[in-house]
Amino acid sequence: MLQYVVKRVLLMIPTMIAISIIVFTIIQLPPGNYLESYIAELQAQGESVDPQKIAFLKQEYGLDKPLVEQYLRWAGGMLKGDFGYSFEFNLPVSKVVGDRMFLTIIVSSFTILFTWAVAFPIGIYSATHQYSWGDYGLSLLGFLGIAIPNFMLALVMLYFANVYFGTSIGGLMGPEFIGKPWSWPKIVSILEHSWIPVFIIGAGGTAGMIRKMRANLLDELQKQYVVTARAKGLPPGKVLRKYPLRMALNFFISDIGSLLPHIISGAEITAVVLSLPTTGPMLLAALKSQDMYLAGSFLMFLAFMIVVGVLISDLALVALDPRIRLSGGVAR
Amino acid sequence: MIRAPFVLLFALAVLLGAGPTAAEEPPALQAEVDAGTLPPLAQRLPRVPLVVDINRPDWTIGRYGGELRTLMAKDRDIRMMVVYGYARLVGYDDKLQLVPDILERIEVTDSRVFTLHLRPGHRWSDGHPFTTADFRYFWEDVANDPDLSPFGLPQVMKVRDRGPRFEVLSETAVRYTWDEPNPQFLPALAGPSPLFIYRPAHYLRQFHSKHVGNEKATAQAKEAGARSWAGYHQKKDEQFRFDNPDLPTLEPWINTTPLPSTRFVLLRNPYFHRVDKAGRQLPYIDRVIVGITDDKLIPARTGAGDVDLQARYLRFDNYTFLKQNAKRNQYRVLLWEKAIGSQNALYPNLNVEDPVWRTLLRDVRFRRALSLGINRHEINEVVYFGLAKESGNTVLQRSPLFRPEFRSAWAQFDVKQANALLDSLGLTQRDKSGLRLLPDGRPMEIVVDTSGESTEETDILELVRDSWRKLGIALFSRPSVREVFRKRVYSGKSMMTIWSGLNNGIPTPEMSPNELAPTAQEQLQWPMWGQYYENNRKGGEAPALPEAKELVELYDNWRKAGTVAEREQIWLRMLEIHAQQVYTIGIVTQALQPVVVQDKLHNVPGDAIYSWDPGSYFGMYHPDTFWLEPGGPR
Repeated sequence: MLQYVVKRVLLMIPTMIAISIIVFTIIQLPPGNYLESYIAELQAQGESVDPQKIAFLKQEYGLDKPLVEQYLRWAGGMLKGDFGYSFEFNLPVSKVVGDRMFLTIIVSSFTILFTWAVAFPIGIYSATHQYSWGDYGLSLLGFLGIAIPNFMLALVMLYFANVYFGTSIGGLMGPEFIGKPWSWPKIVSILEHSWIPVFIIGAGGTAGMIRKMRANLLDELQKQYVVTARAKGLPPGKVLRKYPLRMALNFFISDIGSLLPHIISGAEITAVVLSLPTTGPMLLAALKSQDMYLAGSFLMFLAFMIVVGVLISDLALVALDPRIRLSGGVAR
Repeated sequence: MIRAPFVLLFALAVLLGAGPTAAEEPPALQAEVDAGTLPPLAQRLPRVPLVVDINRPDWTIGRYGGELRTLMAKDRDIRMMVVYGYARLVGYDDKLQLVPDILERIEVTDSRVFTLHLRPGHRWSDGHPFTTADFRYFWEDVANDPDLSPFGLPQVMKVRDRGPRFEVLSETAVRYTWDEPNPQFLPALAGPSPLFIYRPAHYLRQFHSKHVGNEKATAQAKEAGARSWAGYHQKKDEQFRFDNPDLPTLEPWINTTPLPSTRFVLLRNPYFHRVDKAGRQLPYIDRVIVGITDDKLIPARTGAGDVDLQARYLRFDNYTFLKQNAKRNQYRVLLWEKAIGSQNALYPNLNVEDPVWRTLLRDVRFRRALSLGINRHEINEVVYFGLAKESGNTVLQRSPLFRPEFRSAWAQFDVKQANALLDSLGLTQRDKSGLRLLPDGRPMEIVVDTSGESTEETDILELVRDSWRKLGIALFSRPSVREVFRKRVYSGKSMMTIWSGLNNGIPTPEMSPNELAPTAQEQLQWPMWGQYYENNRKGGEAPALPEAKELVELYDNWRKAGTVAEREQIWLRMLEIHAQQVYTIGIVTQALQPVVVQDKLHNVPGDAIYSWDPGSYFGMYHPDTFWLEPGGPR
């Protein structure tokens, strides 16, 4: 087991290097660099910039260096915990991300909890009461949840909130708390404001989760051991809890790998619509303006989360499901 | 001996100023003044403040207080508050005349010698005196410092590559002397993104290697994550970016929020140098709140009543939506006239790679035919509800340089004349579908590059396509993204582009006519000729058309001209060449910019121009005198 973990961790190193090269290349692929898109944007508004100043910035940001050197400087810095410099904000990347990362983790964690809390019981109900009115009704809701994009739901809610309640539901805290240090009232304000984004972002995920739960459980419910258990007179609730439900949980655990990056990236477009101070909109803007170190470090962090998440879910599966073995090759 | 009575007089004035006749203290500052943390009004104002009195029937003296909400799309847009605040050494008034603002007065000899007189007693927003030492710091320690300005002086401070002579005459007077006239100097000081020739020396000194020693300056910079002390100094010294809350300023509102944030709070500058007629210190509004949200959501949030004043990121096609919600959310929608020369203009690329097309595009008859073949009236009706004006790409009616013949030259819809012009070029061969053939036998298909940002451009191109078809010319549009778009133009890959017209549609003879001559690579009709000028005749290509050469000469003459009359003559000649040569094909002009103003916000003009330079958008109309009546929507 230990050997396996060490092997997996060591494998992560070349993976991360490969990812960092790919990320850097892709960010560099669009023509131009940050300064060029910056100048173009200013010119579109009729502004102009002193060429002297641009030349200075180019030198200062190291954009006049060859690409390989830029890459090595960035990758080398990351090893030391220096994620580079954000041109857009004129700040080190770590300072730009700061608070936003924390808020994103709060919103995403709540969203995941919300998703689980709603999807779990509904999924079980749908599976055990297959083709009943309840199943049909909840499935319909579920399909609606999958079909309506989150940002669309957010726009619709924004509209109704404004027209019928005359309020604006954007943001994640009362305006008086933005940019202020953490305090109890600020936390309360965040909790008060976060249920709308949590509901909106969670809606799609919940629906998907219900469908998966239902399908997995239905597969298990057909199996012979369930029939046997029932035939032996075990109460239905206990049968469900003891056997098929546990089997159906596997997908839940293997999902962790993709959940972790979600926690820090959040739902980008929805966050944009709701003006949430989370990391999603920032990543989007950084990619658009070719703020390469900010975007690159972000993507690296996401990649890291995926790699770690997959490892965790693999290990958890081993621990939870005795049918899975670490030693490959014996299964024949 | 002589000075004594003056001192006495001054002391008396201070006493009187502090007495019961003194203008009221802004209520927001009263508590601090009472507590003794802030000196009283009389000691905060310059001895001679700028009295703002705007002569407009709907303009009134305001009341203090309130907060103004507006929206921007990016953190970096906080710089717009320097544009709106518009505290400049000299600035434009609403008649587009240059008047002293931060300066008490300015003396100009032959557009060559500029003597700037500061207001005695003027202070930075942190209370430190604003003196000529701040000009000296810029000149000696920034502009002429090899680390901070490795590439030399700012462009506008150089005439024929030579900078001015700088003298400090007293604590409140400096002089800049060029060998030859520098007519660009004052407009640069008055610009929306101005030339800052002063720096808060007392604050910036702590980052400068010359003042604290190289070792300490470098150590500080390294600690803050910057590469060099120069980079760190530069980062702290962004008067235009407005992103350093510690940097003292002279603007009416001070930014208190560091980047990044989704909500910027700006507070009134207690040392601001302007007062109203009653002697009360401006600005009237205590706080400005700048919210950051996605640019595509700004029209929606504006319509939802989330702002008190908004123009940026609102487009004309949002107008009906904004109007619809105006009553419910208690705001009014004004339409300001945009000051660009043309809302949309076609730019034939005279430097296109393809030799056949290049010859053709450089022939004035061909360009005239293209211009005559556009049905501007139809475009105006379809796209702009008939509210714009059909026109070539020239200056607007509001400009003293406007002549109706510039507007109408080759701008009427005349298929017959256009076809006759094309025939006279010998382009009489046609293919089966009726398209004219190029001299080398290819069908005449013009590809217009767009930056792919607005559907307005593609809508217009659709209409142009229909009418050009009648000339036997096909049009295709090729959307891309802005960077690619520019690269294609610069390298000559693109044949024709669509973009907005002259940036400054309301020039006076005093403003630079550089846009009319090939002087910069960014000019889409002749990027290589522009590059040639920009790089001191080293890169790019020399202008090949006699008229283009004449434009460059005229521009150089304008820079040397000593009198206004001379400059006006040059301007008119340049505009005439432009109108006759049709280097750019303007379509409509005087398009309108929606401006949303909350019902309780006063002193915002109803009939105004929306202009980046000159004007600084709201800046020219004194946002420091805008005021809020209590009881507005919240």
